[in-house]
Amino acid sequence: MRIAACIKRVPITGGRILLTDDGRAINTQHLGFTMSPHEECGVEEAVRLIEANKGDSVVLTLGPAEAVEQLRDAMALGIDRAIHLQADGQEFDAEATAASLTEAIQADEAANGRFDLIFFGNESADSGGFQVGIRVAYALGRPCVTGLKKVTLDGSSVRCEQEVEGGRDVYVVPLPAVLTVKEGLNLPRYPSVPGKMRARTKPVAVTTPARPEPRLELARLAVPAGQGRRAESLGSGPAAAPAVVDMLQKAGVL
Amino acid sequence: MTVVQGIALAVVLVVAVGLFTRRALTLYRLLRSGKPAARFGDVPARARAEATVVVGQSKLLQRLLPGLMHAAIFWGFLVLFPTILIAMIGAVDPHSTLPWLGAQGWYAFLVDVFAVLVLAGVITAFVIRKVQRPARFKGSHVGEADLILALIAGIVCTLLLWHASQIALHLNDYPAQWAPISNALSHLVGPVAPVLERVAVWGHVLIILSFLVYLPYSKHLHILVAAFNVYFGRTGARGRLEPIDFEKPEAEVRFGSARASDMTWKQMLDTMSCTECGRCQDVCPAYATGKALSPKLLIMAMRDQLLSGASTPIVPTAVTDDVVWDCVTCGACVRECPVGIEHIDHVIDLRRNLVMVESRFPDEAGTMLRDVDRSSNPWGKPQADRLQWAEGLGVRVLQPGEAAPDVLFWVGCAPAFDERARKSAVSTAKLMQQAGVDFAILGPRESCTGDPARRMGDEYTYQRLAGENVATLNGAGVKKIVTTCPHCFNTIGNEYPDFGGRYEVVHHTEFLAQLVREGRLSPAASDRKITYHDSCYLARHNDVRAQPRELVDAVGQAVEMPRNRERTFCCGAGGARMWMEEKRGRPINQERVREAAATGADTLAVACPFCTVMLDDGVRETGAKLQVFDLATLLAEAVERKRSS
Amino acid sequence: MTVLVLMDESDASRQTLTLARRFGEPRALRMEAVQPFAPDALAAALAEAADQLNAAAVFAAGTERGNEVMARLAARTGLPFAANCVAATPGEPVEVTRLRWGGSLLEEARLHGPRPLITVAPHTVPADTGPAPAEVEVKVPAAADLVVRVSDHVKPSTGGVSLAEAKVIVSGGRGVGSKEGFAIIEELAELLGAAVGCSRAVTSAGWRPHSDQVGQTGTKVAPEVYIACGISGATQHMAGLKGAKRILAINSDPQAPLMLNADYTVTGDLKEIVPAISAEIRKQR
Repeated sequence: MRIAACIKRVPITGGRILLTDDGRAINTQHLGFTMSPHEECGVEEAVRLIEANKGDSVVLTLGPAEAVEQLRDAMALGIDRAIHLQADGQEFDAEATAASLTEAIQADEAANGRFDLIFFGNESADSGGFQVGIRVAYALGRPCVTGLKKVTLDGSSVRCEQEVEGGRDVYVVPLPAVLTVKEGLNLPRYPSVPGKMRARTKPVAVTTPARPEPRLELARLAVPAGQGRRAESLGSGPAAAPAVVDMLQKAGVL
Repeated sequence: MTVVQGIALAVVLVVAVGLFTRRALTLYRLLRSGKPAARFGDVPARARAEATVVVGQSKLLQRLLPGLMHAAIFWGFLVLFPTILIAMIGAVDPHSTLPWLGAQGWYAFLVDVFAVLVLAGVITAFVIRKVQRPARFKGSHVGEADLILALIAGIVCTLLLWHASQIALHLNDYPAQWAPISNALSHLVGPVAPVLERVAVWGHVLIILSFLVYLPYSKHLHILVAAFNVYFGRTGARGRLEPIDFEKPEAEVRFGSARASDMTWKQMLDTMSCTECGRCQDVCPAYATGKALSPKLLIMAMRDQLLSGASTPIVPTAVTDDVVWDCVTCGACVRECPVGIEHIDHVIDLRRNLVMVESRFPDEAGTMLRDVDRSSNPWGKPQADRLQWAEGLGVRVLQPGEAAPDVLFWVGCAPAFDERARKSAVSTAKLMQQAGVDFAILGPRESCTGDPARRMGDEYTYQRLAGENVATLNGAGVKKIVTTCPHCFNTIGNEYPDFGGRYEVVHHTEFLAQLVREGRLSPAASDRKITYHDSCYLARHNDVRAQPRELVDAVGQAVEMPRNRERTFCCGAGGARMWMEEKRGRPINQERVREAAATGADTLAVACPFCTVMLDDGVRETGAKLQVFDLATLLAEAVERKRSS
Repeated sequence: MTVLVLMDESDASRQTLTLARRFGEPRALRMEAVQPFAPDALAAALAEAADQLNAAAVFAAGTERGNEVMARLAARTGLPFAANCVAATPGEPVEVTRLRWGGSLLEEARLHGPRPLITVAPHTVPADTGPAPAEVEVKVPAAADLVVRVSDHVKPSTGGVSLAEAKVIVSGGRGVGSKEGFAIIEELAELLGAAVGCSRAVTSAGWRPHSDQVGQTGTKVAPEVYIACGISGATQHMAGLKGAKRILAINSDPQAPLMLNADYTVTGDLKEIVPAISAEIRKQR
């Protein structure tokens, strides 16, 4: 069995977002970084499936040089190899990201065989474009199911549960398939230290893809002004309870 | 007769010594197979420990009656040791004895006195165990203990009876009046002396030899190994854990202990030294509040696993997960133990394997570990927020490239990210400004010291953070550090030297106390009735007990809790338990708050941000009439009071 | 100029119309046209309708389904797609403002291409009050486009009010302290007929299941009142609250981001305040 997972390096922002002087990026000084949360579940699922079914796994990312940290984190969870498409500080829009990933996936498949499953996060924490996984699936000509909370292999097809209001919708599609998953799919394991140590030496293939002109072109970023919430204090401590109840009554919920 | 008896003695001696030696060799080989531990340096300190703890029985004498009881038996054993040889010689030939010593009156006197003392000790021990029935024996093998006491009683009784019958038969080489008790007894045994003399001496020899054989299979093994265990104890900082070398090839790295064979030889020796006395259990905050952990039962379980030769994983076969996580690493057990067992090392090594290899630990602690790893603080908040507490205070933030100040104020994560812990940092900063101290903070360049990760067993994350902090501190040329957090104090001062970071590290109570002494800060005492809670990492692991009390005396009236100074009772946050839930029993923090409230104090003074949060929670939960304040805040209040008067 | 809009019965669709009208006269393609839901088929239908109408743009609501179908349309037709926009201005190129970080950051961007594909972030644009647009007919989908289609529906095992639909939510964060600590949260929720929510820190700690999580990677909620207890308010969490009409934040830290971005605040220990609110509600009954 062959499974691939695609990830993205994103900063851990906390409550306030600060921008760089030119307003085109987040000021990441003193920020920590992580894999986008949905994707960590995709990586964990890939590792579990390979553990159960034998095979090999690959993690891919399009990102700056430092994104190798997230690739090592994925390999510490149990992924065998990594492919690093170095973006060298340039911003790739979702279309370009999908195109670069598709190319890398096709190259790996030509050399090593088809991926039965490719996992993506449903959307990335930062840009939230909702489209990279779907674009890659279409380019590869494979069915894509999105927003998944449960994945079950069933012979040569995969049964997928997508969370909707009032329950879950079920899709069954044949392999090979592309799945975009959501946090809650599983609880990613805490990587063992031997896993982390081994990940330091697992192979990472680095290429620098060409960047086409972006068709969704970033002009600038802006922090939205306070969304009109006035932060009116109702008091402090238990003494504020009557004021709270008053507010609830005025809001029509009591 | 002599020849027959000589042959008989030779036979029993060979059998007994043979059996003993075989078992002793097995145990020795087991120790040799243990993983390495660097416990051979600093001989003078080790010798001092032997003298006080072993010969001087210092730890045992903390509880007077049991201490005296054991001292009597122990010193008695030392004094009476040559009588074993004398008895064996006498068993073969009633007319012979040890040259010189056997004829010394003063020795006979000592033997008499100590034999009686040993007997008194044994009787006392029985009274303690059967009448008083202390709780610390819960879980111990009391039957085994009874047997051992009975054997000891048998040894001294047969000795006295032998001496008595010897004197009655005029076989003694020493002047009889030097042995008053034996002499007195001799008048009673006169009629049966001939038979009694043989029976008593052979009884004595046989009991001793069977004791010898039984010894290495019982907890009485401690008489052989305890002295060594004390010798090989820590001589350096008590709060320092042994680092793991991750640079070695993966197969050679020791990730704590998964199986008994992973233990270091010192840890194996620990388990062999345990006498099941339960003093550790008595002082353990987890045990006292109904948790699964008992340090005594933990060591006994490790011992049983080790000696059974089982290769199954220690957790959960011998020790449950709960037991491993219940520990707050307060060190009360280590402090109490008369045979030098270092329980914390066992817990940490079990944790190291569970966390680093098996990824098996309470979920909420996993959140903390991830946050420490990715966000460089256990709260998972952005590093840039580390300056928020100091807004408007005019505190200098040391920028990269600037010269280091006299004092680097290491704020720590708690005051930066927790509103209750913030006050002590604010007060300390203001006081240092008032006293004209040249200090600065690192702000966002300060990462978590890694202590919570290390105490959880995640040594890998800890070493990464330690390396980063050392690089930052060394890069800035920092020489002296003041910190409000005893955990930061302990790890930077005692553990960072292992990673290239050597600084003079001072706790804020020490620093502030010195400023008061020097007259750079003038407080006016209030009528607050203050009880001071000693933090484990200050008072016990690092012996900082006096300076915080100087501050208490300077700001109010002091009243002590029963468990104070090095016998302090943990607030419950140590051992990374600040980030774990207590699932059983009563909360540790509430236990301590009740003790504080019982003193009649109105103020509970603390010196640690975790103690602040835990005890403040405890006050709210129990409704106690106490206000919890850090000493820095009390001092700031007192200085202000002086100023406005 | 015609603009094609993928629509259903939701408010979000009517909000989408507001922006769509800037690009032309809207024509609607109903999400329900393909039953059961098959996103590729809907994308195919949109592609064909857009070509037939020579649509100036294609719009949908930035709901899960809306984004999914539009992304497929984009992949199928090789066009760029701007998701979750709060503003869109026609032109060469089209100027959009879209949400990043679940709404904590705005991206001003230019969309280059012959036919802009745009979804509109729910609860950010007022609903259109005009007449419902005329509908476009949808042909029978091709078999290839029905490979990905809903084949079954599974009901959730838990009862109680669902987070996404709840009118009132009482939510707890790290400050609640423990799994047992949620008892007071559940108590208040029961009195209010509310759903119980939590922050990511709580699900990571294992105190509550992921289905209770509110936030960017959990459930996005739109209640009348959202009561946040002991939640600091990371962008992750705030991203799930965009739709909340009123936010009451209870926290001991007055500087916590959620306290600064709420409608109402109470400072203090939630362990005292939440039971006090419950008691006051009972008193007034």
